[in-house]
Amino acid sequence: MAANFWTSSHSKQLLDQEEVDTVQPADKDKGITLDDLRVVKLHMTNHIARLAQQVKVRQRVIATAVAYFRRVYTRRSMTEYDPCLVAPTCLYLASKAEESTVPAKLLVFWLKKLYADDRYKFEIRDILEMEMKLLEALDYYLVIYHPYRALTPLLQDAGMTDLTVPALSLVNDTYKMDLILIYPPYMISLACIYIASVLKDKDTNSWFEELRVDMNVIKNISMEILDFYDNYKLPTEERVNAAMNKLAVKT
Amino acid sequence: MEKYEKLEKVGEGTYGKVYKAQDKVTGQLVALKKTRLEMDEEGVPPTALREVSLLQMLSQSIYVVRLLCVEHIEKNGKPLLYLVFEYLDTDLKKFIDTYRRGPKPRPLEPSTIQSYMFQLCKGVAHCHSHGVLHRDLKPQNLLVDKERGILKIADLGLGRAFTVPLKSYTHEIVTLWYRAPEVLLGITHYSTGVDMWSVGCIFAEMVRRQALFPGDSELQQLLHIFKMLGTPTEEQWPGVTSLRDWHEYPKWRPNNLAAAVHSLNPEGVDLLSKMLQYDPANRISAKAALDHPYFDTLDKSQY
Repeated sequence: MAANFWTSSHSKQLLDQEEVDTVQPADKDKGITLDDLRVVKLHMTNHIARLAQQVKVRQRVIATAVAYFRRVYTRRSMTEYDPCLVAPTCLYLASKAEESTVPAKLLVFWLKKLYADDRYKFEIRDILEMEMKLLEALDYYLVIYHPYRALTPLLQDAGMTDLTVPALSLVNDTYKMDLILIYPPYMISLACIYIASVLKDKDTNSWFEELRVDMNVIKNISMEILDFYDNYKLPTEERVNAAMNKLAVKT
Repeated sequence: MEKYEKLEKVGEGTYGKVYKAQDKVTGQLVALKKTRLEMDEEGVPPTALREVSLLQMLSQSIYVVRLLCVEHIEKNGKPLLYLVFEYLDTDLKKFIDTYRRGPKPRPLEPSTIQSYMFQLCKGVAHCHSHGVLHRDLKPQNLLVDKERGILKIADLGLGRAFTVPLKSYTHEIVTLWYRAPEVLLGITHYSTGVDMWSVGCIFAEMVRRQALFPGDSELQQLLHIFKMLGTPTEEQWPGVTSLRDWHEYPKWRPNNLAAAVHSLNPEGVDLLSKMLQYDPANRISAKAALDHPYFDTLDKSQY
């Protein structure tokens, strides 16, 4: 949406890993662990992507929606903000912010069609109500910068446009983590380029040296991504339900 | 909204009515803008959403009016958004008027003009660096705190992010007097230059205490510009004669711009002429304007 990351609200809202990994007190009371939180976020990231596929929005809208979703839970509890409702509402809000509005009724339709579990089904008015709550939770900061923008010019500069496809899928996968809340987007782009170049056995050392970026940060991000791949498994329905059921318990 | 006491209606903004109000606890004066939220099946209108988020982002500059907070209330079961802005006591139009009319008509001090121009360019540069065009810069939209000598850009209601690729924007946007020639000629892809043209017109208006190009129709507006700056040629502005609304116009020769702003020093005239370049590609950018020699005598450390 805008051109300069460094003076943006996004750059000022970057968080530390510890801040991102905080379980809200209300959730803690219900026995939610950090692992539960991660499982729910991962599951809902996939949920958003699945829904997005049906209503046909660009990858960027999905990325923005996921960033909203992850940011919300650094500030609000899942107890108070039902993730099953927050996820489609983030997609709804992101579609508006990215100028490709998806009608709420279309989302409602697909939620009903895709899921048998009542937990995922909502009415239009639920989404509209949650929209207002999310705006407040996000403090009306809706502009999100993504690693996609820097990727193409960087690859062109490096003369490695043949890495576009693998680098792009790596970027897509970073949204399964909280990286977008923690690192400047171009650093994430560089980490993805770095991994892609290693995978394809390309020597990029001199190019990275000339960039004069902090290679330690790039390597840290790369390690996190690789760690994620090592440990990644789609959370099973049982695992997701176990976490969600904790939330459903009345205290 | 019980937090605020409405004092008076101060205008109609792009969104709706604007009130001067006071925070009951802190006593702080604020400007309240009620958004017309026609909440129906589709919740908060995307235009309002984008504008609020742009404002939220841009108001981190002291040269853009500060959005203090957004208040969401329910009225008769309908949601309303109030934008709460910092309050400034006047705008540049009223400010210039006090020098033109009033008991003691006199020119604005050159140092005031210089300082306001610098702040205006700072604010515009800030918007442009965030990919936002204001598109409706005019003295009424520039708020002034005359005690502290501060100028801030307001009413970004028409502001819009220019994501790449640039989209065609609607034409009936900028108030005629400050409207760039390319907009008047029906260009479909316009950019930061439209704001810089307006900045130039505002610059001249501060010096003259009256508008530089006070047209009352689109054609009149163009003729005002052509009579002053000469009818543009293909050499000056490649492609101008192929623009949608180009016609054969009388071929005026350029007048002496300096004469229209005779109290302005040569550096100022040079900067003004760079802002009023016909070809938008040649028009000076807000960022470059800040480094123009016209500002050499300004103590920039205070900005």
